[in-house]
This record gives sequence, C-alpha cells and structure tokens, in this order.
Amino acid sequence: MSLAQLRDVSLVNFLKIREQQSRLLAVGLTAAIVGYIGWKIVQSPDQALQFAFNGLAVGAVYALLAMGFTLVYSTVWFFDLYYGAAAAIGAYGVFYLRSHDVLGGQYAVNSGPVNVLFAAVTAGVAAWALHVLLYRRLHTRVQPRTLLIAGGLLATAFGIYTGLVLANPANLHVLLSPLVAFFVAGVAIWALNRAHLRFALLTNRGPFAAMVAVAIALGVLVAIFVASTPSLGLYLSWFVACLLSGTVSLALYRGLYVTMRERANSPLIMLVASLGILLAITAFITIVFRAAPRPLPDTFGSEPWTIGGANIKGFNVFAIGLALAGFAVLLFMVKKTAFGKAVRAIGDDEEVAKVVGINTTVVIAVVFFIGAIYAALAGLVSGHDTAIQPRMGLLLLLKGWIASVVGGIGSLYGAIVGGFALGMLEQFGIWDLAGEWRDVISFIVLIVFLSFWPQGLLPRK
Amino acid sequence: MSIATGALRNIQDVARDPRSWWQRSKGNIELWANLIVIGWALAFMLWRGGGFAITVGSVFAIWAILAVSLNLVVGYTGLLSVGHIGFFGIGAYAMAVLSSNASYEQLRTEAIPTFGWPFFAALPFSVILAGLVALVVGVAFNRFRDDIYVLVSFGFAVIAFTTFLSWRNLTRGAFGIHEIARPAIGSWVFEEELEFLALLLVFLGLVVLIAWLIVTSSFGRVLTAIREDEQAIAVFGYHTTHYKLAIWVISAMMAGLAGALLASWSTFIDPNSFVLLESVLLVSIVILGGLASIWGSLLGALAFVMLEEGMRFVPFLPSEFIGQIRQVILGILLVLLMLFRPQGLVGRFKL
Amino acid sequence: MSTQVDPRVYVLETREISKNFGAVKAIDQLTMSILREWLTCIVGPNGSGKSTLINLLSGMLPLDGGIVVIDNVGLRVVKAHDSPDHGITRTFQEVRLFDQISVWDNIMVVLTERRVFPSLLERTKPRHREEAERILKSVGMWEKREAMAQDLSYGQRKLLEIGRALAMDVQVYLFDEPFAGLFPRMLEQVKSILKDMREQDRSIVFVSHNMDIVRELADHLFVLDSGALLAVGETDEVLARSSVIDAYLGN
Repeated sequence: MSLAQLRDVSLVNFLKIREQQSRLLAVGLTAAIVGYIGWKIVQSPDQALQFAFNGLAVGAVYALLAMGFTLVYSTVWFFDLYYGAAAAIGAYGVFYLRSHDVLGGQYAVNSGPVNVLFAAVTAGVAAWALHVLLYRRLHTRVQPRTLLIAGGLLATAFGIYTGLVLANPANLHVLLSPLVAFFVAGVAIWALNRAHLRFALLTNRGPFAAMVAVAIALGVLVAIFVASTPSLGLYLSWFVACLLSGTVSLALYRGLYVTMRERANSPLIMLVASLGILLAITAFITIVFRAAPRPLPDTFGSEPWTIGGANIKGFNVFAIGLALAGFAVLLFMVKKTAFGKAVRAIGDDEEVAKVVGINTTVVIAVVFFIGAIYAALAGLVSGHDTAIQPRMGLLLLLKGWIASVVGGIGSLYGAIVGGFALGMLEQFGIWDLAGEWRDVISFIVLIVFLSFWPQGLLPRK
Repeated sequence: MSIATGALRNIQDVARDPRSWWQRSKGNIELWANLIVIGWALAFMLWRGGGFAITVGSVFAIWAILAVSLNLVVGYTGLLSVGHIGFFGIGAYAMAVLSSNASYEQLRTEAIPTFGWPFFAALPFSVILAGLVALVVGVAFNRFRDDIYVLVSFGFAVIAFTTFLSWRNLTRGAFGIHEIARPAIGSWVFEEELEFLALLLVFLGLVVLIAWLIVTSSFGRVLTAIREDEQAIAVFGYHTTHYKLAIWVISAMMAGLAGALLASWSTFIDPNSFVLLESVLLVSIVILGGLASIWGSLLGALAFVMLEEGMRFVPFLPSEFIGQIRQVILGILLVLLMLFRPQGLVGRFKL
Repeated sequence: MSTQVDPRVYVLETREISKNFGAVKAIDQLTMSILREWLTCIVGPNGSGKSTLINLLSGMLPLDGGIVVIDNVGLRVVKAHDSPDHGITRTFQEVRLFDQISVWDNIMVVLTERRVFPSLLERTKPRHREEAERILKSVGMWEKREAMAQDLSYGQRKLLEIGRALAMDVQVYLFDEPFAGLFPRMLEQVKSILKDMREQDRSIVFVSHNMDIVRELADHLFVLDSGALLAVGETDEVLARSSVIDAYLGN
C-alpha cells in the first residue's frame, strides 16, 4: 500500500461527507488521552515519572527498530519480515557468545553445526563483498584465475575466523583483538587523512607513512588492551552479534531477494517469502536454544538509581542514548553522504536510479546490512532489559512496524518520534491494566492511527 | 464446469491410448501434487493402521475447515489475513466456557463461570460469537489493503491471544479449561474417536459445500473481481466494503466452528493452541495448497498434517523438535513457492 | 446551436466543479453540459484534466467543489458504486480488467446481482449467459472466452473492457482513450462499436488524441486546457476556430 493509497483510505477521505465529525472525533480522542495522562500525573507524580521513564526505555528499543525498518522499507518498499529474525539473531547471538557466563553456564550452548553454518554464510558474503569491491579494479591487471583463488582463500579465511570466534566464546577478547586492531587502525587512518587534508591543506604523500605508523601503533595498543581485558567480552559479543545479524541479512538479500525481485516485484510475494524465512529462523533458534525464555548476562548499570521517586536503571539510560546516537548516525548517513543520496534516489525510483548509474544491488545490500544491525541492537537491548525467547523476533518486528506507522511510514524523523511515542503510550496505557496488555495497547494505537492519521505524526515528504 | 469436462476428455483420451498418459502428465504439477500427497497419506494410514488414521483424520478435518475458511478471504478476496487463529480461538473458548463440566471447574482455585451446556447447544453460540466479533473487527479493518492489512490482522491475532491468556476470570489463562463436553444426541455420546471423526468429517463436508456454493455464486465472482481491482469493480455498482465484510464474517464463523470442534475433540484447551505462529502456519497451509481453490486448501491441510505425522517416524529425529523442523520445512517451502509457483500447488490465483 | 436548450436534452452536467492535486488545479471551476444521445468528445493536451474529469464523473476521485447534475439531481458527492444508478459507466485509460479471472467472468461479473445477500444465493442464470454471449460476440471475443484476461493482447484487453462497459445498460458511457495504442484493424472495430452505439441512441463521451477519428466520429466537442474549457461546440465548427488551432492543434 503506497502512501497515496494510505491517504485515500484515511477515515477523513473515506467518509468525505462526515469530515467535520471525523475531525471532532480525532480531536476528542487526543484530548481524552492527554487528559488521562495529565490526570495520572497529577494523581501521583512519582509513579508518572516512573512510567514516563519506562516509556522512554521501551521507546528506545522501538525507535531503533523503527529506524532500521524505515530505512529498509523506504528503499525497497516491501515489508521485510526477516527484520524480526534479525532482532532475534542479535539477542541470541549475545546469548550464544555469553551462555557460559549466564546463570553459571547452566544453559551453555555451543554447537558445531551452528558454527559451521555461520562460517559458511560469512565466507559466502565475504566472497561477494570482495568481488564487488575489488573485481572491477583488478581484473584488468591480474589473471582471473589468480583473482579467483586469492579471493576464495581470503573468503575462506574470513569464514574460518568467524567459526573460530563462535567456537571459543570464552576467549572472545583474545580472538577479536586483531579485528579490533584492524578496525581502530582503519578508522584512525581515515580520520588522520581527513584531518591532514583539511587542516594541513597539503596534497603531497610525505606524511602519509607516518600517519599509517601512528594508526597501526594505536591499533596494536588497543588490541593489547582488549586482549588482556576479559570483562570486555560482553560488549564485544554485542559487536559480533550485530555483525552476524547483518551478515545473514546480506546473504539473504544477495542470495534470495535479488532473484526474487527480478522475477516478480510484488510486495505481497516478497512479504510472504520473508514470512517463510522468519518462520524458518524462529524454528531454528528454538531448536538450538529451546523455547523457554533465557536471561542475558548483567551489564553495567543493572543496579537502579532512585531519582525523584522513580527507579532508573543505568542501562536504560544507555539504551535511550543509543537510540539517539543511532538516529544521529542514520540522519548523517542519509542526509549528508553520497550513499544517502543513492538510497533516496532508489527509494524514489529504482529504475531511474539504475539508469543514472547507481549500483542499486550494492546500495540496497548495504541498506539491508545497516537495517539488520539496528534490528540486532534493538533485540539485544530489549534482551538485556527483560529476557529473550525465540518468538521475540516477530513481536519486536510488529512493534517496529507499528512505531514506523505511528511516526509516518518512510520518514526517519517519524521513526524515532513514533518509537518513543509508542513506548510512552504503551506504558501509560498499562498503568491501570496489567503489563501483559501492552501488546494489545500498541495495536489499538496502530488501528486508531491508521484510521485517523494514516500518514502518521511526521509524514515523509 | 469446464474443468470437469476437460478432465473427462483427458480420461477418454488416456483410455484410448494409455501410453500417452506419461507424456501428457509429465509437466503437470497439479496432478503430481495430488498424487503424491494423497498417495503418501494413504500409504501411511495403511502402514500405521486404524488408530493412527483416526487421529490423523481428526486433526486433518479441523485444519481443513480452517484452511478452507481462510482461503475464502485470502485466495478469493485477496485479503492476506494472518489473524484467523483469533476466530478459531474465540470459537474454542466459547465452546469451552459454555460446555465445560461445571462440577470439575468449581474444584479449582480460580473458578470461572461455567454453564454445562450440551455440545449442540453451545455450537451455534460459538459460531455466532465468532461472527459477531468478526463483524466488529471487519468494520474496523475494511478500509485496509495489502501489507497494512497483514499488519492489522497480525494485531488481531495478538489481541485475541492476549485476551485468552490474560482474561483469567473467563479463560483461566495459562491453566486452560478442562472437561469440555463431548457431543451427545439423546443418550448417544460421541465418546469413541471414530464417532467423533465421522462428526468432524460431516462438518468438514458442510463447510466445503458452503464454500463451494459461495465461490460458484455471483457473490464469489464479485469477490474475485474485488481481489483483482477493487476500485474498478466499485464503478460497476458494487459496495465492495459490504462484500468484504460479508465474506469476512462467513469465514470467521467457519473458523469459529473449527475452534468449537477442536475444544470438544481434545476436551482441553489453553492459549498455546492460538499463538501467532499457529496463525502464520495456517496462512502457509493455504498458500501451499493453493490460493483460490477449495481443493487446494484440503490438499494443503493434508500435506501439513502428514508432514508432522510423517516426521514422527524418521529415525534420528528427536521427537521434541518435530514441530520446529516442520516449521523450518514450511518456511523454506513458502520461499520456494514464492519463487517458482506463487499460486501454490493447485491454486488459481498468484499473489 | 441555439443558446437555450431544453434541460432534458442534457444527460450529464457539471457546475463549477474543481479538483486540486496539492497546488495543481487539475480541474478548475469547470461547467459543461453533455447532450443526450450525442457522441461527445473531449480533447486537450496532456495534463489538461481529461482523465481527471472522467474520474470525477464516475466517482473515482472525490470532488473538491461544485456540483455534478445527473438526471436533474445535483450531487456534491459522487460515489463510485452509485454510478450505475446514475446511469454512468466507464472504461479506463490504462486498461483495468480483472486479470486473473476468465474473459467470460469479466463480463459476467457486471451482469449479475448487486445486492450482497441475494448475490450469495444467485447462481448463473440463462439470461446472464445469453447476455454475456451477445456482448462477447459483439466485441469479437467469443472464441477467447475461457482465456485469462491477463493472457490477452493489448488490443483484445481494450476491446474486452469496452465490452464490459457495453454489458452495463446505462445512459452515459465514458470512454477514456478507447483508441490509444490500437492497430488499424482494432481501431476500425472500436469505431464501428461506437457508431453502432450511436445508432442505438446511447450517449457517449470519449477522450481521444487522434484528430482524424475525432473529426469522423464526434458530434460535439469540448476542448480542455489546464482544467478549464477552451472551446465548446459542434465538431466541425470548433475545429475551424483559430483560437483552438493556435492553442492546441496548431503544432
């Protein structure tokens, strides 16, 4: 359903003749909700503060989900239900890597086939990424066979590395330190180079070697620090879980969606196919981890602080910060970079984007990767906050979907506003009910929004 | 009509020249799907014997009623509803509350209202209750289409499940309701599984008949037109919203019937039978069997039931994972179908 | 043409209707009257609001202002599903058939019962069959009746859509670009269908870009430009006016 169609089906258009009453109803409804919340705040300010904070904390998860979801949806215009599985993979990835640490290792899981599977997926994705990045630049200079063998070996190395990491979660900090070093050095070189070009206004390559040396030294230093600090394992596992979720998303996109979109670009076909993927991955997670809920290990800030009569957990503050930071990064990426321009061009018209020379396959692949990372972040934050269970993926997906509808489908500002708004409405809604009704409240919010404000709070322009 | 005469012509041709049959049917996926699923089911039942066949038949009948009812909405009207399990649950809970054994329920700590009605008195109420809820839900959902419809129908399933789980004064939440009445006519109680299977098949036959009458009527033709282009058919004077509402309510009543039968058949229900994933499985049955084809829904339900029962006898397969492995297989099947055969095995409509 | 005409002569009128898409005025205070039993043509450059006008008259777009007068009843709101009651039916610029059902059912579906509950009980009746057969034969699609609508060629789809409109027994037929993209043979077929309809005293409104056809067929001509009327009158007279030629036909 496109945006134009959505406007068509709004209650206001639907009952053109009763426009006045419909507006009145919408205004009355809003007033009633605001009045209810206001009354609650007056009645017991302390509790209201608690609920508002809880709303923000839950809203942070929804906002993260909605942002990634919106990014993907406004590029390819179909609802990718794999997105829910990406959140579950993020949460279960953390559990998988830290299971020896949770409840004294009671539910420790580490299965060879799973490691091999992920190693294979990583190798495949790495092979494709290498092909995309290097083939065009090198194939004129190097023999194709050499290129094939070298690329294959490199991709296999990536796969084996992933397998190793997954098989030895207790030594995550050691195994991951080279990757961290590489990452830090890369970022340092990029930053130094930018600073060098901008401030020194020099174009000669003289100081470049020095810069590289400094960056590598920095990388090695950080790596040594990481390798000698086992307590970093949890945060490294976040990193790995996000990467894994993104990798699976990439594999699915390249392996399946590209072919599928060429065959029949019908949103419903894509939706049903991704539903199948969600079903399969959910069942796979259940087989590996069982259906019962599992806790994730304690993080920093698990102890609540008391501020003005409300109990506030440091981790929740961190989650809210994470959502805001994620928003800032995404906004920068979409509004300021060439990549963002390409994404918007594809979202407006994929065929035209292809014609003007954008490599749509690669850009969309990156969009899927980023989207899955946001989903995984949301999944693991919500997992640390409550607990994880295999069907969390579907529920989180629905919440992200609702938040993006509430905020305005396809709008980035709408996603973050919608996420926090949904979280707040949900929390204030369950004040007088039991907590188990929160899903019901979200869906009632959804249906009310679709009926009265189908374009959402901040519509995409 | 035309299909029947076509089949007749085929049979005549084959009778004249038996060797042409292989040539004719080599690429006929519909024929092979039918042969394989039915053959598999028959072979299995012969191998495992009568008791097995009765259980499988009962499970099949309930899923088949559900699948046929959902196909009216998804296949014929083109509304991809993922919330149908909600009506199934409403039918089941209505039956459970109305007909569960009052004395047994009062022994429990969390007492719920019981009525102790006989099965055949509670059945119409369950069906009508599902229909009434569908009427309200349908009015709210009527203006949505395509992927937004999927989202709101997900919502209905979630709301229904939460209600079953959390309205403890009526449903006793996760504990479930026991001692639901078996049907009885006079002093003849359907205690035997075989008797109950016969009853289920009678109801299945009834549902299939009604569905067939609907889809071959003028009403059914309008439904397919709504599926193809709702705005265009409206210009020819049809109140499409009324049509969609009518089929939605009819379909929900059929699902309610299936729920009531399930409650009575298993004599115990809890919210776990009505989770969102079951609803998704139901949709995949309908798509697998074939959209806009009643026979397809029966075939899909049979394939689904046989998939589960068949896996029980695969060696080296831990029995606690059967449901999950079935789910993995269904998921992959859905992807393959969307890639190669978007109308399902014997369907008449491509998504 | 005389300036004062008996109101019963008009089958369809608009009074100052408007339609805006955002800031664009697609139809701007348009007042026009369509004559009963005449073959009326609407011409105009691309984006002049011809299709929007048809959509407004058939209720597929809501009016932003003005009144549509049908049978001496003024309507501020035209609803799509009331258009057969208003005596209106239409075809679409981009052919909109019911793709995944047969040609036969595409015709049958507009012939049968419209009320919900009676249609549930209605089986296909012999008179429906006869009517559908007559229509399909008149547009030359009888041999193709068991094919899926999506498997037809473009011209056949166009013909089938015209047939579907013919199956409606109404006063006014709105044809949006019935000649666009047709091969000469099909073109002749559509032309003869329209001529036959005029013989049967039907009122027809069609949109076309093909000036030869307009000259040959149309009795009455409306020239639209930017959502407003540029010229009205009998075809030959309008086409002779220099303002029309300059504004639209000159190039």
